[in-house]
Amino acid sequence: MPIQTTVLGSYPKPPPEGASFNLRKTLHAIERGSADEGDLQRARQELVAELISEQEAAGLDVVTDGHAGWDDILTPFARNLAGFSIGGLLRWFDNNVYYRRPICTGPVEWRGPSTVEGWAFAQSVAHVPVKAVIPGPITFAHLSVDDHYGDRGNFVSALASVLAQEAFELEAAGATIIQIDEPALLNAPEELELAKASLGLITSQLQSATTIVCTYFGDAKRLGSELFELPADCFGLDFVAGPGNSELVDELPGDKALQAGIIDARNTALESTAALRAMMEPLSETLGDRLTVGPSSGLEFLPREKAKAKLERLVEAATAVAGSGGN
Amino acid sequence: MGSGDLRGPGLWTTSVGSLPKPEYLTTARTGRARREISAEDLQELERTATREWVEFQDSIGTDLVVDGEQYRGDMVAFFAEELAGFEIGGLVRSYGNRYYRKPIATGAVGRDHAMTVDWWHFAQSLTDAPVKGMLTGPYTICDWSFNEHYSTRRDLVLDLAKVIRDEALDLEQAGARYIQIDEPAASTRMDELDLVIEAMGVVTEPLSAHTITHICYGDFHKAYPKMLEIPVDQIDLEFANSHYSLLSEFSAHPFSKYLGLGVTDVHSHELEPVDDLVEGIRKVLGHLPPERVFVDPDCGLKTRSPEEAKAKLSSIKKAVDVVRAEL
Repeated sequence: MPIQTTVLGSYPKPPPEGASFNLRKTLHAIERGSADEGDLQRARQELVAELISEQEAAGLDVVTDGHAGWDDILTPFARNLAGFSIGGLLRWFDNNVYYRRPICTGPVEWRGPSTVEGWAFAQSVAHVPVKAVIPGPITFAHLSVDDHYGDRGNFVSALASVLAQEAFELEAAGATIIQIDEPALLNAPEELELAKASLGLITSQLQSATTIVCTYFGDAKRLGSELFELPADCFGLDFVAGPGNSELVDELPGDKALQAGIIDARNTALESTAALRAMMEPLSETLGDRLTVGPSSGLEFLPREKAKAKLERLVEAATAVAGSGGN
Repeated sequence: MGSGDLRGPGLWTTSVGSLPKPEYLTTARTGRARREISAEDLQELERTATREWVEFQDSIGTDLVVDGEQYRGDMVAFFAEELAGFEIGGLVRSYGNRYYRKPIATGAVGRDHAMTVDWWHFAQSLTDAPVKGMLTGPYTICDWSFNEHYSTRRDLVLDLAKVIRDEALDLEQAGARYIQIDEPAASTRMDELDLVIEAMGVVTEPLSAHTITHICYGDFHKAYPKMLEIPVDQIDLEFANSHYSLLSEFSAHPFSKYLGLGVTDVHSHELEPVDDLVEGIRKVLGHLPPERVFVDPDCGLKTRSPEEAKAKLSSIKKAVDVVRAEL
């Protein structure tokens, strides 16, 4: 039984050692006034094409654009939606990576798609499906400051409405897999009901796209099997930062799939094929073709060569497990 | 412990640590990376730049001077390059368009020579004002490195604590009366704050100098008041970037140490009006007496241009003069 392989979203932007880092140079040039938005778009598109080609060469079944044009999963939306300004720097979860906190200063309103054009370009240069990634409304709310609604439920609903519009447009443009990132839900079990309602607003907009609710950077055991009541087809769990997640697998309903993060996206130590097989085999036995494997989170926390080596190792192990016919 | 050698009414001006490198130095560093200039020639330029920054700080009447770290690329990589047990890894993004080479712990950590003492001596020889010894703390070096050697983070942190302690003792022996051990990562994981405290205890226990730590860009509301248990005389925090929001906590749990008060945003090109800085300092004086307050930028200024940094430091001095006149 084949095991699907994928990434979660981000991919390292720097080039292999010694090559020219055009995206960084172009952004510097824009600061100096010696390049324009057209130059930036070209640099980003070149990078997207390169990152997709690298993921395909590693043998992945489903790829992403590597978030080559994004600083984080919120900013592309916060910059494009009415009702947000961009605030001060804050650490991105428990990483040595920082983002600018969106500040909600007025009603959140749709002003057109934020990521559809980027997704469509990525798909046009890919030979396998490109997964579209959007932030979940709970995570968006947690990582922002609400100076307008003053009520978590209302703020989350407003975010869900505009994210539902984005998801709808992504599907209309051809996206067949839409991943909704909800890492902040891991630390907010009290918001699970709110998550069900708000994610329902998004997934009910979709006709046939496969939806994934993706968590990372921790354990979902505080949510328990109720997590699987969220309206999605597939759930992303981090088996590196959340060792307790393996206990949840047995409770996954038979009509739901799992995206298991099993290679460490935040440390350079390269996993052995044997260790990866040992993690995949029991999952594969339980889940059969409902199993997809990938890194524990976005790969941008690693240097480029390390990320590439890890993906190659992942595919090698997945192929070996599938070939061993354990299922 | 007291405020070291400083006298007067308080509100002493200082810097967090890094200052921008002048263009001739960034050019020379690139040249050195390509082996186009010698290590000696580069060091001569680093000394020139250090001299210029010390002279500038003297010219505006800075109370507690820094060497500006003209010889360091990154605050963690500098130490990783000097210590045994580390390799320098590939580029990883920290925020926006900024990247750093994240070190990899590949063996047992050790120190076979003093890393910062010669530079401290040199800077101190240029001014009558005290010069701070500047170190990166053990928790942050661990957190901002990959770990391929130690089985637990705690083991790596405590080994690093011993080498940073030895460096601090060498600085004190050389005459440093102010020693800053930066732990910007301290606010990352609340469940590891005890480890931060334990490791800092290893470093500061044998010291008689005035000790300082700098923490930044995290959720201080979660780390406060527990952070007051970090065994240092002074904690330096960003207030401008977070709009003085931490002050609300000071009412419930008085800040019991000397405070390093960050009053300018180091990631903005904009030069804040002196009046804004004055207002910020006045707010803080509602919670702490002036003789417990040092005033500085939010964080190291290395990402600004030299002109922007000078303007921000000059504004801080002007604002302090305004408030001092009111005391």
